[in-house]
Amino acid sequence: MYEDEKTQQNLYAFKPQLEKMDKKGIALIVFLLMVIGFGMFALYTQIVEGHIVTGMRDNVVWGLYIVNFIFFIGISYAGALISGILHLLRVPWRTPIIRMAEMITVISTMIGPTYILLCIGRLDRLPNLLLFGRIQSPIIWDVIAITTYLSGSIIFLYLAMIRDLAILRDNPVKNARWRNPIYRFLSVRYKDTTKQKELLNVSTDLLSIVIIPLAILVHSVLAWIFGMTLRPGWHSTIFAPYFVIAAVYSGTGVLIVVMWVFRKIYHLESQITKIHFNYLGIIMIILGAMYGYFTFSEYLTSWYGSIKWDMEVLYRLFNPSQYWHLFVFAVFIGVLLPIIIVTVPKFRNINSIAFAASIAVLALWVKRYLIIIPTLESPLLPLHDLRPEYVHYSPTWVEWALTFAGIALFILLFYLFSKFIPIIPVVRSGEEKDYSRLRKIVFEKQMKKVIKQNKKNAIASTGVIILFLLMSSSVAMAQDENKIQPVLKLEYFNVDSVTKLNATLRTKKDGRFSPMPGMEIDFTLLHGNSPKSIGKAITNAKGIVSLPVPADVLSGGGEKGVFTFGASFAGKDNFEKASAGTSMKPLHLEMSFFQKEGEKMVSLKALEAGINNQWTPVDNLDVMLYVPRTFSLLKVGKVTIANGSATLEFPTTVPGNQLGYLTLLAKVEDNEVYGNVEASGTINWGKPLPPEKIIIRGLGDTNAPLWMVYTLIVLLSLVWFHYMYVIFTVFRIRHLGKS
Amino acid sequence: MKQKSSNRRNFLKLGFAAGATALIASGGSVLSAFSDPEDKETGEKMKLLTPEGKLVEVDKGHICCQPAGNLEARQGLPNKKMVMVIDLAKCRNARKCLEGCQSMHNLPPHMEWIKFYLLRDSPDLSPYWFPKPCLHCNNPPCVKVCPVGATFKRTDGIVLIDNDRCIGCKFCMAACPYSSRVFNWEEPKIAKSNHQAPYSPETSSPPKVGTVSKCDFCPDMVRKGELPTCVTSCPNGVYYYGDKNEDAVTNGTDTVRFSELIESRAAYRFMEELGTEPSVYYLPAVDRAFDYKVGFEGLSEEEISLYKTEAKITE
Repeated sequence: MYEDEKTQQNLYAFKPQLEKMDKKGIALIVFLLMVIGFGMFALYTQIVEGHIVTGMRDNVVWGLYIVNFIFFIGISYAGALISGILHLLRVPWRTPIIRMAEMITVISTMIGPTYILLCIGRLDRLPNLLLFGRIQSPIIWDVIAITTYLSGSIIFLYLAMIRDLAILRDNPVKNARWRNPIYRFLSVRYKDTTKQKELLNVSTDLLSIVIIPLAILVHSVLAWIFGMTLRPGWHSTIFAPYFVIAAVYSGTGVLIVVMWVFRKIYHLESQITKIHFNYLGIIMIILGAMYGYFTFSEYLTSWYGSIKWDMEVLYRLFNPSQYWHLFVFAVFIGVLLPIIIVTVPKFRNINSIAFAASIAVLALWVKRYLIIIPTLESPLLPLHDLRPEYVHYSPTWVEWALTFAGIALFILLFYLFSKFIPIIPVVRSGEEKDYSRLRKIVFEKQMKKVIKQNKKNAIASTGVIILFLLMSSSVAMAQDENKIQPVLKLEYFNVDSVTKLNATLRTKKDGRFSPMPGMEIDFTLLHGNSPKSIGKAITNAKGIVSLPVPADVLSGGGEKGVFTFGASFAGKDNFEKASAGTSMKPLHLEMSFFQKEGEKMVSLKALEAGINNQWTPVDNLDVMLYVPRTFSLLKVGKVTIANGSATLEFPTTVPGNQLGYLTLLAKVEDNEVYGNVEASGTINWGKPLPPEKIIIRGLGDTNAPLWMVYTLIVLLSLVWFHYMYVIFTVFRIRHLGKS
Repeated sequence: MKQKSSNRRNFLKLGFAAGATALIASGGSVLSAFSDPEDKETGEKMKLLTPEGKLVEVDKGHICCQPAGNLEARQGLPNKKMVMVIDLAKCRNARKCLEGCQSMHNLPPHMEWIKFYLLRDSPDLSPYWFPKPCLHCNNPPCVKVCPVGATFKRTDGIVLIDNDRCIGCKFCMAACPYSSRVFNWEEPKIAKSNHQAPYSPETSSPPKVGTVSKCDFCPDMVRKGELPTCVTSCPNGVYYYGDKNEDAVTNGTDTVRFSELIESRAAYRFMEELGTEPSVYYLPAVDRAFDYKVGFEGLSEEEISLYKTEAKITE
C-alpha cells in the first residue's frame, strides 16, 4: 500500500529520524533528565517538609503551580482546536503540522494536571476525590473535563497515526526492532482499502467535531475555578471565553515554535515551508487581537465601574513598583509585537514569526501569573500581616525547579515521541539506564544532605527541650516551698424545694481563680454552739461540691427559723485549711400557671419558716424570672412578692421548643435572709420553634442540584458515546483487515 | 468499646433528637437508665427538656465529654442556630479572645483564627477595631467549592472542616471573601501532651499538616452548654454568643434577647452585599467605650504603623 511516489519520498526523508540518534540529541536528553531530576528533588523536599518550602502562604494560596497548570492546559489547545478545525475545513496545508499540534495537546494535557497535584497539601488523600467527590465543585468539573479531554486527544492522535503506523509496519525500522511488533499491533491491519479508509475518515471527522466543543469546555471550566469565587479580578463573566481565547493564542504560538525547532533539527525545510509559518502567523495574530480585545474589555469594565476591590487589583497592575512592567509585557508587547511582525511584510520571515510566537507564549505565561498573584494579594479585607512572605508572593527555588522540570519533561516527551512515531524516530534503549543511574546519584546525594541537616536540627532541638525542662522543674520546686491559702465559698440553694449547700474551693492568684478539684469538704450545721456534721463530699473538676441537706436536719427547726451552716477544708499537701459559713431561713417558693380572661399568667407564692415550723407569707421580696438558654439564663421579668404572692404575665414571645414548651425559673438571689431559692415550671405557652427546613440539594449541600447532575450525565455520555463508537470503528477496521 | 460508643450515640439521639432545649446545671440523682459505669461521670448534672415538656436530668459525662466523631460532627445540634454578635463599641484590640482561642485549640502562635483589623471606611470617618472570626455564612462560598465535602455547613449554622478528609487544595481559602481560613503549611508544632486527645472536627484539634483550618464556633463547647473561649476571655464583653432559635445571646455576664439587641443597636452583617449571609452580626462602633488609640497598647511600632497605613491615619 501507499506505493505512490510522494509517500515513498516522505518515508525516505523521515525514516532516518526514527533510526538515528546523534550526539546532540543524547546531550539534550541528558540535560533534560538532569532538570527533571532536580525537579524531583524539589518535589521530595516539598513532600518531606510540607508546603512551607514554597512561596505560597495563607493569602497567596496558589502560585507558580497554578500558573503552569493554566499555561499547559492552554497550549494543549494547539492540537484540539487547530488540528480539529483545520481538519474539518480540509485545509490543504495542514498535513505536515497537524501531528505536532496533536502531540502538543496530548503531552501538555498530561503535564498540566500534575501541577494542580503539586498544589495539593495531602496527596495521600487523592482517592477522596472519587470517594466523596461533589459535582458542585469546579475542581471536580476540572477532574472530569481534563480526563475526558485527555482520553479524546489520545484517541484523536492515534486515529491520525494509523496510516503512518501501517507504513512503518510495511517498512520495518532497522534498529530497535522491538518497535516493529508495536507498529504491527497498533496499525490494526490497516491496508487502506476503500472500506477501511471510509471508516477511518468518518471516525476522525467525528472526533474532531467532538474535540472542539470539549476543548472549549475544558478551558472554560478552568476559568470557572477562578470565576466562581468572589475575588476581584476573577469574578468576571467573560472569564471563560477570555481563557479560551488566551489558550488558543498561546497554543498557536507553541505550535509555531515547535514547528521551527523540528524544522531545524530534522531538516524539514521542504515539508514545513514559509507558507505554514505565514498562515499560522496570521491565525495567531487574529487570536492575539481577540485576546487583546478581551483584555481591554475586562480592565476597562472594572476601571470604569471602579469598585473598591477591583481598583486595588488594577492599582497593583498599573503600579510601576509592582506589576506594571510585567503587565506591559504580557498585554502590550505580547499582543502588539506579533501583530507588527506578521503584518509588516518587511519583518515577516520564518525566524521572525517564530520569535513573535515565542514572545506571545512567554507573554501568556506572564499573563497567567498576573491573573493569579495580584488578585490573591488583594483580599477584600486589608492584608494585615507583619511577615513579608505572607503579604507578597515570591516563588521559591522549589517552585522554579518544578516549573523548569515540567518544561523539560514537555520537551523530553516531545523528543522521545518524535523518535517513536512516524515522521520521526526513537531513542536507543541502551541509554535510558545511564540516565536513570545519573538521576539516582544526584537524588541520593541530595537526600544524604537533607538527612544530615535533619539530624543536626534534631540534636539542637533536643538540647533546647532538656534545658527548658530543667528550668521549668526548678521553678516548680521553688514554688513548692510556699503554702497556698485556698478560698472557700459556701452558698445555700433551694431548688424546687430541694435544699442543698454548694461549696466552691479555689485558689486565687493575681486576681484570677483556679479551681481545686478532688478535695474533701466537710459540711456542718451550727446548732447553738455545737457544730454537727451533716456530710462530706469531694469537689469536682470546677472545685465545686454540692450537698443535698437531709430533710430531718431542716425539720429540727432553727432559732427563729434561722439555720447556720459551715463548710471546712482540712488542708492538703501545700494547701492551707479553709472554712466558710452561711446563715439562712428556709423559704418555700412555688410557681404555677393560670389563665385569666385569655391572658396567660404566672403566679408565685412565697412562704417562710417561722417559729415552730409555721409557714408564714413573705412580704416585699424581689423575685427574678428567667428562661434557661443554652449557655445562661435569660432574664424575662422581675416581680416583688407582697403578702406571700405575686402574679405577672407569661413571656409568650420567648421561643420554647417545637411544641412551645418553655421552662420558667423564679429565683431569689443571694438574699441575706433566705440565701438562693429557686422554683421552676414548664408549660407549652412559649413561641413554638418553626420546623427545621431540610435542604437536600444545593450548591452548599452534600448532593448537587438535579439540573447539574443531569447536565453532567448528558454531556459525559454524549462525549463518551462518541469515543466508544470510534474505538468500536477501530476494531472494525482491524476485523476488515483480516480478509 | 464499640458497644459503648454506640450506647452513647443512641443516648444522644434520644436526648437531642427529642429536642432538648433547656440545660440547667444543678444537682440531683443520676438517672439509672443511662448510667454506664465505664463512662466518664463528671458529677455535674444537666437538665434536658423533652419535646413533651418533661425535664430529665443526666450526668454531663454521658452526653458531652467525648469529642464527636467525624460523621457525627456533620450533624448539627438539633433545633439550634448558633449566632454571634460582636459589639464594636466595646472592642479595644486587647486580643485576649485570640489568646484564649489559640490555647484552647492548640494553635501555633502565628496561626490566627480571629483576625484584627483597624477599619476606616472612608477618610472622613473614624477608625474602629474590627475583630473577625469565621463568619459561618449561611450561604458559604467555601463549602460550595470544596471538591470532597471536607468543609460543610451544619443544620445549626456552623461551618466545620473535617481535617481527616481535607485534601488541601486550598480552593476554600481562595473562595472565602473574608480571609477566614488558614493552612497548615508544615507539621504543626504543638505540645506533645495535646496529641493524646482524639481528633474531632468539632474540636479542630489536633491540627493536621497539609489541611485547612479556621474558627469552628466551638460546637464541642455548645454540646457541654459552655461558651467558646473567645467569649469568656474577652475582658470587655465584646462577643455575644447564643442560639438564634432561643432568641438569646450572652457574653458571659449579660444575657439578652438576640432580636432586641440587634434591633436596638442597629446590627449589621459584614459585607452583606456578597450574599454570603453570615451568622456573625456586628454592632456599630457607636458611643465607644475606648478611643481607637487604646488599641495600639502593647503592639510593636511596626505593627502600629502597619495599622495606621491600612486605616490611612496620618499624624
